[in-house]
Amino acid sequence: MDYVKNNRMLSLLGQRGTFGTVLNELAKDDERIVAMSADLARVSGLEKFIKNYPDRYINVGIAEENAVGMAAGIADAGKIPFVTTFSNFAAMRANEFVRHFMAYMNCNVKLVGLSSGFAMELFGTTHYGLEDVAVLRCMPDITILSPCDCMEVAKCVETAVAIDGPVYLRLSGKMNQPIVHRADYEFKVGQAITEKEGSDCVVYATGSMVSVALKAAKELESENISVKVVNIHTIKPIDRECILVNRDKKCMFSLEEHSRIGGLGTAISEVLSEEGYQGRLIRMGTLDEYKKAGTYEYMLEQHGLTVSNLVNTIKNNI
Amino acid sequence: MTNLEIYNNAFIECLGVTEDQLAGLKYQDVESWDSVGHMGLMAELEDAFDIMMDTDDIIDFSSYEKGKEILSSNYEIEF
Amino acid sequence: MLDKTLELTLEGRIRKDILVAAKQAGKVGAHIAPSLSLVEICSAIFENFDESRDVFVLSKAHGALGYYATMHQVGMITDEQFNSFEINGGEFPGQPSRSANNHVDYSSGSLGMGLSYAAGRAWGDAGAGVYVVLGDGELDEGSNWEAASVISAKKLKNICAIVDCNGLQSDGKCEDILQKDLKRIWEAHGWNTIVCDGHEAKEISRIIKDINSDKPTVILAQTVKGKGVSFMENNNEWHHHELNEEQYLQAISEIEENYGLR
Repeated sequence: MDYVKNNRMLSLLGQRGTFGTVLNELAKDDERIVAMSADLARVSGLEKFIKNYPDRYINVGIAEENAVGMAAGIADAGKIPFVTTFSNFAAMRANEFVRHFMAYMNCNVKLVGLSSGFAMELFGTTHYGLEDVAVLRCMPDITILSPCDCMEVAKCVETAVAIDGPVYLRLSGKMNQPIVHRADYEFKVGQAITEKEGSDCVVYATGSMVSVALKAAKELESENISVKVVNIHTIKPIDRECILVNRDKKCMFSLEEHSRIGGLGTAISEVLSEEGYQGRLIRMGTLDEYKKAGTYEYMLEQHGLTVSNLVNTIKNNI
Repeated sequence: MTNLEIYNNAFIECLGVTEDQLAGLKYQDVESWDSVGHMGLMAELEDAFDIMMDTDDIIDFSSYEKGKEILSSNYEIEF
Repeated sequence: MLDKTLELTLEGRIRKDILVAAKQAGKVGAHIAPSLSLVEICSAIFENFDESRDVFVLSKAHGALGYYATMHQVGMITDEQFNSFEINGGEFPGQPSRSANNHVDYSSGSLGMGLSYAAGRAWGDAGAGVYVVLGDGELDEGSNWEAASVISAKKLKNICAIVDCNGLQSDGKCEDILQKDLKRIWEAHGWNTIVCDGHEAKEISRIIKDINSDKPTVILAQTVKGKGVSFMENNNEWHHHELNEEQYLQAISEIEENYGLR
């Protein structure tokens, strides 16, 4: 599939729909690919895959632990299983299975966390994925990918197939997503992308928050504040260089649809404290409390993950 | 091309249907009009009419007739 | 005095290995009694096992020493490998950890995970025979039943699960902790369920050979924890314990008495 040509169609499908659509494409030429779900195939966009490859799909039922354990066995039988469930269940309900099979036994399992952040809207707190990166980042050898738009989802799925090892793919946002990349570009694991140059400060963003950072940077242009925006699509292994290169800036910001504790911001702070940094890193993410449930936009507003709040935070701190 | 021809062509090309199937055609009536086909159709219509559709309209777009209604009332496209 | 010339049965040699290695481990101790209960289960599996094709999943990780001793006695691992039991940084720790050359297929320790892994191996390779050894106490873990359901729903009949039903778990008798009618539970999950004497290796082996069901099979092997050593049998003190010189000598002489070929 030509991802550039179909960019708008993929963005309309959202990250979940894009995932299933791309996996279906890749399965055509790679018989090792297997899809598994803990009863969430439809919302993973896997309907075509299942229709085309009924023998390469398993619904394990609403049983996330078993999904991960079974995927490990399938991986050890020489196949490449992609397992889907909501990000909180993937990372937390199945947490010890992920540790055991993906980290400790190092099985070639691709775990797909659907609808991380607030994408589940009025389903509420049980379905929000706010801690998934924090609880997986400390597990050895698991690559954590967090695409910023649907074309990047496609690249992440391709990359996950190519990586010989466990991967957690964190999908975020809703249908009809903002498009960050209009043209094709090179995607490399562990190599962050500077989406916009800027001289006054830098914002590191991941997933759904990259487009928010870009909008804020554009708004600040008109006030003569020049903001650099870096898309950290690989949260682990983190791109240390892309962080250290900005050590001359007095202020840095991190932005993620995930708890401020343990996610991208924390990963960046670890690098900066290890290597030495005189300035400040302001970590923006979800607050350390559960708010009452609401729509996607409402929840982002509650946690300050909006363009206007980022604009103000930058202005108040540089 | 008239707007109706543009509209019909989007269906014919994206969903692989014939002109005589269009009247009364609903989402999921044909195999090609599934969730992925739907988004392909929406992207094609956006491109053809140079519009950006709202998510609510994309979800409400449940049939050939309903689509015409949405485009004319919300995007000023006359048929 | 130990009789160095006495010939032992395979099950006797495996048990002797367990005691020798446990003694060598010294103060760190070893899971002795749960290893003694699954000796015949392991030897029966290995009698039917083709390493190039089949998979051995020791989900009941506390039986590790019994598993290693069986691999040693059937020639899968060397004397040197077996003698490295529980050394620091070694290939044969207290609970199995697979590595490139130790012939261990599955790393275990945390209970209730092996059956899920077995489901994947069996689904991914229909030609493999996948053997899973579970503990009856281990079946407290609900994840087992997620796996049992999917194995039966997907008709993965190339799985053979054997439950080492020794009736004891860490804090006491299984029946006093969570009463479970295992036969009915497995049957309700759609498994071909067979109950047998877990210390009759020939019987277990025959059951494995004769499996001919369109359902996955589970064997509920009735065993005695600490089997073969009087002061260990049904005594949970020996679940994980250090073995001193005196106990060692008595245990060995009982094994020679009980498993010597005469």
